[in-house]
Amino acid sequence: MRARALALSILSSAAVLTVGWQLGTQGQTPTVPDATATTTTTAPNGGSMSSAAAAPAPTPTAAGSSASATAPASDSASGTFTGTSVQTRFGPVQVQITVANGSITDVTALQLTDKDQRSVSISNRAAPVLRQEVLAAQSANVQGVSGATYTSDGYLSSLQSALDQAGL
Amino acid sequence: MGVHVFDTMGTMVSLRFAGSTAPASVLDEVEEAFRVFDERFSLYRPDSEISRMARGELPLTRASAELREAYADAFDWSRSTGGTFTPHRPDGVIDLSGTVKAKAMEAAARVLESSGETDWMLVAGGDILTRGDLGGPPWRAGIVDPDDRGALLCAVELVGRHTALATSGTAERGEHIWRTGDPRSPQRYRQVTVLADDIVTADVLATALVAGGPDRCPELIDRFDIEAITVDYAGHLTATPGLQSARGLTPI
Amino acid sequence: MTLRTAPTVPVRTRRMVDPVDRTRRIRGRRRRRTADAMIALVWASVAAAMTLWLAYGGLNTVSGLATALTAAGIVTGLVGTDLILVMLVLAARIPAVDRVVGQDTAMAFHRQLGKPALYLILAHGALLTVGYAMADGSNVVTETISLFQGPDMALAYLGLGLLIAVVVTSVVAVRRRFAYEAWHLIHLLSYAAVLVALPHQLSAGGVLADGTVQRVYWIALYVLAFGAIAVFRFAVPALRSARHGIRVAGVEQVAPGVVSIHLAGRDLDRLQTAGGQYAIWRFWTGATWWHAHPISFSAVPTASSARLTVRDLGTGSAAISRVRPGARVSIEGPYGVFTEAHRVAPKLAVVAAGIGITPIRSMLEHSTLRPGEATVLLRGSDPSQSYLWDEVGALRSMRGNAVFSMMGPRPQGLATWMSVEALAHGVTIGTVFPDLLNSDLYVCGPQSWIDLVIRDARAAGLPEDQIHVERFDW
Repeated sequence: MRARALALSILSSAAVLTVGWQLGTQGQTPTVPDATATTTTTAPNGGSMSSAAAAPAPTPTAAGSSASATAPASDSASGTFTGTSVQTRFGPVQVQITVANGSITDVTALQLTDKDQRSVSISNRAAPVLRQEVLAAQSANVQGVSGATYTSDGYLSSLQSALDQAGL
Repeated sequence: MGVHVFDTMGTMVSLRFAGSTAPASVLDEVEEAFRVFDERFSLYRPDSEISRMARGELPLTRASAELREAYADAFDWSRSTGGTFTPHRPDGVIDLSGTVKAKAMEAAARVLESSGETDWMLVAGGDILTRGDLGGPPWRAGIVDPDDRGALLCAVELVGRHTALATSGTAERGEHIWRTGDPRSPQRYRQVTVLADDIVTADVLATALVAGGPDRCPELIDRFDIEAITVDYAGHLTATPGLQSARGLTPI
Repeated sequence: MTLRTAPTVPVRTRRMVDPVDRTRRIRGRRRRRTADAMIALVWASVAAAMTLWLAYGGLNTVSGLATALTAAGIVTGLVGTDLILVMLVLAARIPAVDRVVGQDTAMAFHRQLGKPALYLILAHGALLTVGYAMADGSNVVTETISLFQGPDMALAYLGLGLLIAVVVTSVVAVRRRFAYEAWHLIHLLSYAAVLVALPHQLSAGGVLADGTVQRVYWIALYVLAFGAIAVFRFAVPALRSARHGIRVAGVEQVAPGVVSIHLAGRDLDRLQTAGGQYAIWRFWTGATWWHAHPISFSAVPTASSARLTVRDLGTGSAAISRVRPGARVSIEGPYGVFTEAHRVAPKLAVVAAGIGITPIRSMLEHSTLRPGEATVLLRGSDPSQSYLWDEVGALRSMRGNAVFSMMGPRPQGLATWMSVEALAHGVTIGTVFPDLLNSDLYVCGPQSWIDLVIRDARAAGLPEDQIHVERFDW
């Protein structure tokens, strides 16, 4: 290749790559639902968004989307913002963030479906809860109880047997 | 409501109907479904196929198709739970008890469905599977407090797509989940209850979550369509969004 | 007409510097700049393919071996596909590309990109499969099965298979076993390969996700590549052929094994054929319709007629000489950079051997030459190879310019383009062409003979820009 062609190619390629790299690093805004977020995730309600496959969405793909999602801009920004649909390995995924005074207070996963068209919440995390009261089986109005498996002998003294007796 | 109780697989099964109990022929078929699995897969029966394999009398290649299929299925679960669920004991013996009870429950469910029963709750040694509802209100299940067997942590409605519930832990039968490390360290889970849309998933995931502990919890919960409640040795509870407001619990 | 034999001592002529010369240099420089820009564009497109991934935040996804492999898999897929699209553009016979570098150069580049593109796509499949398998904790076989079941993935695997078939059959050793047309048909499967791979590119993964600029750019690339082919290889030729209504007017035997095909048509001057160009012809008779022949114009077309001169290849009724008057002809082109418009130097040196006379004759016919500007050497191994030589001598543009002949076989065992006699007399390329280094050298003839001429020219110090070659087998 001629020297000029080579130089032009290297220059233009480097320029293009730099632009891409810049865009890539800029796209990293904290709008990603991930384990380190201190916000709690609200339960997904009847998804009004289009369904698609779900996923263990690797956080960076959501980061990629935030380049196109509306990010919280100024300090006085508040409200709920819905990101554009992001493609993950299993299909499009969409997140919604709630912003108050410029910081993100909530991240909601919109309803999605997994490969078998079942609804899955994108960010299913177990968060701490407290017991409100000590529940007794009878007052809780349950028909069955689940604890670690009991043996046939253990059954006799178990809550289940009490419930079964009551039902019989 | 009608209730039918029988013992199988070393535990008691309670079958409750919203209306009247099903006819005896159906109940017999349900019991038979459990018995078939028990005879093949119970490690407590010396003459079961799996016990013969454990003793080395029967190589896997000459085992029945059902056993090999169950083994392969358990392997799939092992893969998809990242190894936290495993069909082997530490000594290498094949132990399919993690999936067998649930599969038997599914077989029983098929029997009930084909007999036209639409509203029932099947409780097998702490695993719960439901169909339909209680003639209006949904079926409800309580989760036993590991520290006080007579009390409940909370009550859960079995409605919508999550109609199967399974709990895994060390409270009743002792340490049967094989895991490494100090089993008493406070962060490890003492008991995990999983709510899923099928009982095998619930059972396997409950076991996997206990075995994997808090470290593996996020990925397991993320990957599968389940709800879960965990209890650790310090008595702390966590719950996924769908269960955070279950009766008896409140989010922090 | 008898021509003088080649001089053994250079003939001295006056040095000429004038505006025509300047225009030529300017045009030459412009062409070079455009060619360089086109090359830079190709490599920039490769960089752009990588940038699609970078802009998507790809670097942030890499956190370990598995994710690194997956990331590499994505990038190789993007770059590989980009190269294939570039290859399609190169093969599209875009007139602008032809004017600047010529189809043969474009096709040489096209061929060079073939293997790298395939390797990249193979790497794409392998890296992603291994990367995902590692991330899932499963093995490659399970992962392949699971991938295969993904949406549009079966098509993607099909595309890969087609691509492998295309590249394998294009390997020279395999290619020789196929008739050209059969090979070409398989080669066209590459279009299919690229198209069936598109759905999975748009539906799997995040880089080309719905609503992103990347997706728009990617689709635009596809539209550009396929559009170029649709327009310049199908639409334009079809329209052109229909418009000019070209038919065979007659077939004339000019020498043993060589025929001139006289064509008749409408507005053939509007084809704007420059002397020295060729076109790709298809003769619509039973036995010849599926061959597309690249044949040079041996004369500049008039409004109603054109002439091609070609070696009579093919057997039986597939022989081109068997084409009957009245047969319809379709044209693709004209193409070629073997024209006067591509000159860069003040003087002209021409060497033609045998059938190579054809583009030379029309090129000279089209040129406006001043006395002393050009020197033409016509080479033939025996008198049967001297067809059209008299026409060259009789051209208006050749008045005042020297036309030499060199007749006779090459010396046995010696790699030279000259005849025994000429060699014995001490003729060299420098003695034939005065001011060779200030000349454009136009060479046409048999492959290996051309290479020997060029070797001598380069050895004499002639720069590449000033060497113009017409090869008949690109």
